[in-house]
Amino acid sequence: MVEEKSDNEVSAQRTPAWTVPTGRRTDEWSECLVHIGKSQDRAAFTRFFRHFAPLIKAFALAGSSLSATHADELVQEVMLKVWQKAGGFNPEKAAASTWIYTIARNCRTDMFRRLQKFDTQLAAEDLSIEVEGEEPFAVLHNRRGSDRVRDLMGQLPPDQAQILAKVYMEGKSHSEAALELDLPLGTVKSRVRLAIQKLQVQMDRQ
Amino acid sequence: MAMANHHPSNDFLMEHAAGTLPVAQAACISAHMNYCDRCRRAHDQMQNIGGAMLERMQPVPVAESVLEVVLARLNDPEPLRHQTAKAAVALPALLSRIINGDFSQLVWKRITRSLSISYLSTGDRDYEFALYRIAAGGRIPEHRHSGSEMTLVLEGGFSDSKGSYHPGDFIYRVADEKHAPVALDGEDCICLAVLDAPLRFTGWNYRWLNPFLQLRAS
Repeated sequence: MVEEKSDNEVSAQRTPAWTVPTGRRTDEWSECLVHIGKSQDRAAFTRFFRHFAPLIKAFALAGSSLSATHADELVQEVMLKVWQKAGGFNPEKAAASTWIYTIARNCRTDMFRRLQKFDTQLAAEDLSIEVEGEEPFAVLHNRRGSDRVRDLMGQLPPDQAQILAKVYMEGKSHSEAALELDLPLGTVKSRVRLAIQKLQVQMDRQ
Repeated sequence: MAMANHHPSNDFLMEHAAGTLPVAQAACISAHMNYCDRCRRAHDQMQNIGGAMLERMQPVPVAESVLEVVLARLNDPEPLRHQTAKAAVALPALLSRIINGDFSQLVWKRITRSLSISYLSTGDRDYEFALYRIAAGGRIPEHRHSGSEMTLVLEGGFSDSKGSYHPGDFIYRVADEKHAPVALDGEDCICLAVLDAPLRFTGWNYRWLNPFLQLRAS
């Protein structure tokens, strides 16, 4: 423990290496994550932890389905995965927040299944789809889409934001969200559709 | 790689991105995305919504002791996790073999002259997860679904009154839609099917089959 503390103090005094300008648009936490992956820097990791752990805990407690103890356990699992997987993080393909969201989502799904004694050989991660490094255009497209979603999220009308929170943060299916909000399923689906339009998510696949 | 023409709905992609689908259905959607770059891209964007929402959560304080525990465990050996080729998108062994077109070592149960079924286990008790093999040109007797059915064509192809389907195509049918798929000529058709209730064959001479078609989910 003592060693980590001193590590931490040192970092406060020096210019963090992850702020080196790269000429491409990126965010602080993605840079931090890349740095953790490259240098196994515990101070950078601690910084990352202090920012994201409280958000992961909020995610764990959303929908109040996990106890505080389980929520802390989830925070630990997610953060250990962050440390282990940081080397594979590519800031050109995904924002740090999306990357950690998928880890948290998978860990929470597996924790639910463990708690319910649901016996499956498939870990959530097995069914998770990695963001692919295809043509540069697609990567850029996703990156722009990601920035746009973050910019526009604050402008969503409350009724649409509420549904997305149910689905993404509480992990409810569309029909569970409909039941809990006492709305027809069709209303939930149309709000989801409107939210996707507002966030300018391009879903055209024809 | 084949270009899929029939895709899961945006709702399915969102529920997959948010991790709310039952494991059997999630596996089927993942398998489709293995064929379909467009859906994968759309799914990436759906995941971005999750990331953006996470950033906007009201933080809940985490005790310093949690950080200490994590820091102390950073050097623990990483749990072993197999690395699979890109094409397999990290699906576990059996599923990844199936996705890659290796249908050997499966136990096929013959249902009619043209239909065999291999039941697989995902651990999902509410959904049957199975491979259907229809002999080239063969017909599946007309049936009705009392629940929903997801189908993903893995090999060959089939047609029904609504269209024809090829590898990578994803078809979703809701309860009480009747259909009678016919495999395309020239090649056996192998499909992955995820059902949340057993099939009911509607033709009188096939009724006796129904007892064999109970849900085999487990």
